[in-house]
Amino acid sequence: MAELIPFIIGIPLLGFLINGLLGLAFPAWREQKLLIGIIANLSVFVPFLMTLSIFMGMTGQSDPTVVTLWTWMEAGDFSADIAYRIDQLSILMALIVTGVGSLIHLYSIGYMGHDEGYWKYFAYLNLFIFAMMNLVMADNLLLLFLGWEGVGLCSYLLIGFWYSDMAKSIAAKKAFLYNRVGDAAFLIAMYLTFSHVGSLSFGEIFASLDQIPQTTVFWIGFLLLIGATGKSAQIPLFVWLPDAMAGPTAVSALIHAATMVTAGIYLISRMSEMYVLSPEVMLLVAVIGGLTAIVAATIALTQHDIKSVLAYSTVSQLGFMFLALGSGAFIAALFHVLTHAFFKACLFLGSGSVIHTMEHVEHKLHDEGKQVHYDPQDMRNMGGLKKYMPSTYWTFLISTLAIAGIPPLSGFFSKDEILVMTFNAGTVAEYGAVYYGLWGIGIITAFLTAFYMFRLTFSTFHGEFKLEKNVAGAEGAEKHLHESPKTMTLPLWILAALAVVGGFVGIPNFVASTFAGTDVSVNQMHIWLGGSIADFDLVLSKAVEWALLSGAVLIAALGIFFAYRLYGNAEVEEADKLVSARTRPLYSTWSDKYKVDEIYEGGIVNPLVKFSNGLYVFDMRVIDGLVNLVGGTMKLTGSLLRYIQTGVAGNYAFALVLGVILVFYLLLF
Amino acid sequence: MVTYLFILFATLAIAAALAMVLNRSTVNSALFLVLNMLSIAGIYLLLKAQFLAVVQVLVYAGAIMVLFLFVIMLLNVEDEEAVLDKINFRYIISVILGVVVLSYLLYIAGSMADALPPVAEDMAQVGTVEAIGDELFSTYILPLEITAILLTAAVVGAIMMAQHKFK
Amino acid sequence: MESISQLLHFFPLIIVTIGSLVVMMVDAFSKDTAKLYYLSVFFLIAALAASISDVFGPAGEAFYGMAVYGGTSAMGGVIVLLGTLFVVLLCKEYLTAIKHHVGEVYSLILFCTVGMLVLVTANDLVTLFLGVETMSIALYVLAGLIKRDKAGAEAALKYFLLGAFATGFFLYGIALLYGAAGSTQLTAIAEVTDGGLIYWGGLAMLLVGIFFKISAVPFHMWTPDVYQGAPTLITAYMATASKAAVIVALIILLGRAFPDIHSDWAEVFQVIAVLTMILGNVIALVQDNMKRMLAYSSIAHVGYIMVGLVAGTAAGYSGVMYYLFAYTIMNVGAFGVVAYYERQKGLDFTNMENYGGLGYKQPMFGVAMSIFMFSLAGIPPFAGFIGKYQVFAAAVYEGYIGLVLVGVITSVIGVYYYIRVLVYLYMREPESDTVFQQPGMVYKTAILVLAIMTIYFGIQPGALSEIFTQGFEQLQIMAATGR
Repeated sequence: MAELIPFIIGIPLLGFLINGLLGLAFPAWREQKLLIGIIANLSVFVPFLMTLSIFMGMTGQSDPTVVTLWTWMEAGDFSADIAYRIDQLSILMALIVTGVGSLIHLYSIGYMGHDEGYWKYFAYLNLFIFAMMNLVMADNLLLLFLGWEGVGLCSYLLIGFWYSDMAKSIAAKKAFLYNRVGDAAFLIAMYLTFSHVGSLSFGEIFASLDQIPQTTVFWIGFLLLIGATGKSAQIPLFVWLPDAMAGPTAVSALIHAATMVTAGIYLISRMSEMYVLSPEVMLLVAVIGGLTAIVAATIALTQHDIKSVLAYSTVSQLGFMFLALGSGAFIAALFHVLTHAFFKACLFLGSGSVIHTMEHVEHKLHDEGKQVHYDPQDMRNMGGLKKYMPSTYWTFLISTLAIAGIPPLSGFFSKDEILVMTFNAGTVAEYGAVYYGLWGIGIITAFLTAFYMFRLTFSTFHGEFKLEKNVAGAEGAEKHLHESPKTMTLPLWILAALAVVGGFVGIPNFVASTFAGTDVSVNQMHIWLGGSIADFDLVLSKAVEWALLSGAVLIAALGIFFAYRLYGNAEVEEADKLVSARTRPLYSTWSDKYKVDEIYEGGIVNPLVKFSNGLYVFDMRVIDGLVNLVGGTMKLTGSLLRYIQTGVAGNYAFALVLGVILVFYLLLF
Repeated sequence: MVTYLFILFATLAIAAALAMVLNRSTVNSALFLVLNMLSIAGIYLLLKAQFLAVVQVLVYAGAIMVLFLFVIMLLNVEDEEAVLDKINFRYIISVILGVVVLSYLLYIAGSMADALPPVAEDMAQVGTVEAIGDELFSTYILPLEITAILLTAAVVGAIMMAQHKFK
Repeated sequence: MESISQLLHFFPLIIVTIGSLVVMMVDAFSKDTAKLYYLSVFFLIAALAASISDVFGPAGEAFYGMAVYGGTSAMGGVIVLLGTLFVVLLCKEYLTAIKHHVGEVYSLILFCTVGMLVLVTANDLVTLFLGVETMSIALYVLAGLIKRDKAGAEAALKYFLLGAFATGFFLYGIALLYGAAGSTQLTAIAEVTDGGLIYWGGLAMLLVGIFFKISAVPFHMWTPDVYQGAPTLITAYMATASKAAVIVALIILLGRAFPDIHSDWAEVFQVIAVLTMILGNVIALVQDNMKRMLAYSSIAHVGYIMVGLVAGTAAGYSGVMYYLFAYTIMNVGAFGVVAYYERQKGLDFTNMENYGGLGYKQPMFGVAMSIFMFSLAGIPPFAGFIGKYQVFAAAVYEGYIGLVLVGVITSVIGVYYYIRVLVYLYMREPESDTVFQQPGMVYKTAILVLAIMTIYFGIQPGALSEIFTQGFEQLQIMAATGR
């Protein structure tokens, strides 16, 4: 089992090196698209199979295994090992990363097939898998941080993949910079941990938790949380994720929905033993999660760009996961990570399929000599795609039902568990009243989720195709609509199937118990992770749990019903007007995205720029002057000293004798 | 007797060394160096190091000095006649006589103090060719072999410097 | 019989000795110089393999205590042979290009390597002296290889004269120490810790001889002239392998003969280290000639290495070993690239002003040069940084904070002249558009391998530095038990 680790980590790196280096060195290699695609796919799929075989050999009771490949560096007490940890949590995450990763690699063959940077794209994608595997498998915070930075880099490279488009480069930069804020906090948390524990490996940190003072636990937890909010796009650092949709859609599905953005949830679950020690920090996690969930959901209501809706939906769902973490439901959070990976990846790939077709239509129209330009991602131009793209439609619909929380699809189970556990935290946790409030927010968000997701689905796939009506000169566009190729629809169907059945690994025990009549344990998630992660105790009675469950389903159904009434015929703009009339003045706040970007710009960036300008003048005049003075002095000294070097052997011998006298003096006196 | 001889050789060695440095003629200098080495060989003999004394005469006073003289003569061809002129036997004899007198004076001064420590008895055995050979081929086998390499390297180097003419 | 079984521990030395003699003989009977090149490479690779296997073998004394094997000695052998191998690999193409490709070069390099291998195994002042001399004699000749060039010949002569002068001190030091301790063996000398004037005087003169060989200030005066005058790759050889050999010998000398008077000699090393670091770096700032700049840079590096020696602990010594290893790799690489540029336009093409825009001519060499320069400047993640870090850390741990402060400040000064090379390579307009000759496959590969090693050992120093530490501890235990 342990002997597979170097391969699981190394093969994606190898794939990156092969495609990256050969592509860089030989332009001819870039044309071998089939070969590049196969290599890249195998570099993810083979590690997936290996991870699967490790998974098969483990049970919920297996002890963690640490595989140390080598010691990276040693300095005094500090030692940084390249060491990987095999336990239930890391294997679960590794399965998600390589599994969803494989499907998205497959999808990309079709999706990126005509792109010039095909080889570069796959090289980056493999590098991402390598970094992500380091992140989830690392046995110490330092290696985890390396992976953390690695995925950040890949995210930057892939968001700005079409870097010749200025807006996309700026989006990439924005994502990178927002992540830096979180990373700085992460680094400080690492220093704090090291100074109190003397090691960064998880085993030793958990073993010496009782030696860390309470306030330090809070600060470490708090700083790690800031780090997590950066990577997982939570308040206050969530604004980069919607912009990150500038990258290829498959990237959005893999990095910005299924894997990288869940790194923050993984980090907090990994450190759960520490988090439960500080109720304050737990509350903070829950509050951030709850607020993010509802803020993002309300913004999603107002967006017209289909990827943008999905992006805010992702932020909102990540908020749900944080809410779960804060409520002491780590397993529920990871469960939601799992199900979300399935249905959100499927939704993104579905939207990619739609965008692909819309772009295709634009190209075809250009070929016919019609100079039309429109936004291929704007849902106002779509509608009626159901008949032309049946596979995309059905998989999209299944995933939408899943995210809305309709039983027995996967999203239902995970979201329900989160809401139940939040309600439960109101009873068992400190600051219980706040948790009841958060539960209320969660219920409202669940309603909004069902509503905006169906708004999206109806507007895109139902009603009439509106492009020809909206855009002048686009007559005859409808005949160019067609379904995407097999490499794209196959992953869609696999992901949709997973979105249907994925939830069965987490069937709530009380449901099964009610039907079986006795207490049974059928929740595979709890069986798998329960041994290594301790959730808060579930103290609610079965009746309460049933009530919460039916409430959640009802709310979701209500959301779908409203969405159908308003958007069923896909007249987006008219329906939006109706909604905004009812919710004024909130609606304008939502559509302005709470003006967060503007607040950051005016409140932080601009004052900082002014301050920096002041410092710049100071730096140019005073600091540089001093530096130049020092440098000048050194050069002057050097040019004087060089005259010692006369070239006369006698002088050299004289210097040597002076040296002899010096050594004698030092030794004898 | 030993002390007496030692002082003679020692004074001669120092005087020869001084004369060598102070003399303007290179040939004379070389010859004084020979004298200096011969006196040192004498001191070795007094210490009962026969082998060393013989090697000193053979190698230094013999081979190396001949080389020196060759080089000097090759370099200063125009001075050849002057060299012969400059060898002034009266001068040399006077130096030797002066040394004898000086050493006698020193001997008297030296006998006032406790002159020389006695040479250890087993020096007679240690200093023989046989004893040195034994040591060289047992304890000092590694340095001996390395010395061989050192000399080979020097020869190769010398050949290279002399032989190749680069354009 | 005992001696013969002991021979087994000295395979690298034996292989190189046989190699040097074989090459010499073949040279005498064959006109084909290329043959000698392949022979030398063959023997060096064999010796390198043997010495690598020695690293993992046992350690002990041999030949009546004249030599030690295993541990630090074996690792010193690896460093020396690695440096020599790469120099020889690059040599052929370079010497052919400057029309000095003569057979004796190979036998002399191998003789010189024999001297170095004796040095790293020396456990007796006599062997130490013979090692130094074998190495130096060959180097004197190699330094003056280019006779057409007056500066080169003059530098070689100066090197020889001053070298002989220093050898005098060295030998006199040995004689005095023999007088004080009654033996020339290092372990026997260790038993004496204060033998009066004879002892201290002997130690002082011994150190002077060694300081001269490693060109510590103020015994460094020959270095810039000789490094500039010698053929570039021979300079590389002098700057890396020969220095590494002497410093490894110094480690063994200090560790085995003078461990108990550490505080006394550390004082000397401290002063010399400060002088060396300051002078080397400051004068390097104003050099316009690449080879002269690298000469002063090598002086500065000796200063850093001495900081590690001052620490006098296993950590310090192993840090020095790591430093030597890294320094050998990156410096051979840097000189290799300089030699490549040089041969495009003849021997005088080493002025930095001629380097404008060269980085784009052969992209691989430009990138490799950047890597070597960054590494020499001690910027992570390259091997040079780890070496510097280890010696400084060891010194700080022993409380020599002021010394390390000087080291750090002078390193900062040093960054200027290393980066300056890159500025010329990439940010200046080329002087003219010379068409560059393509480097040979071997040349290219060797530079590439050196560059990769510079990165690799900068990222992954763990295993190697562990071996270095263990090696020294092994030697120390031997010294303590007097075996």
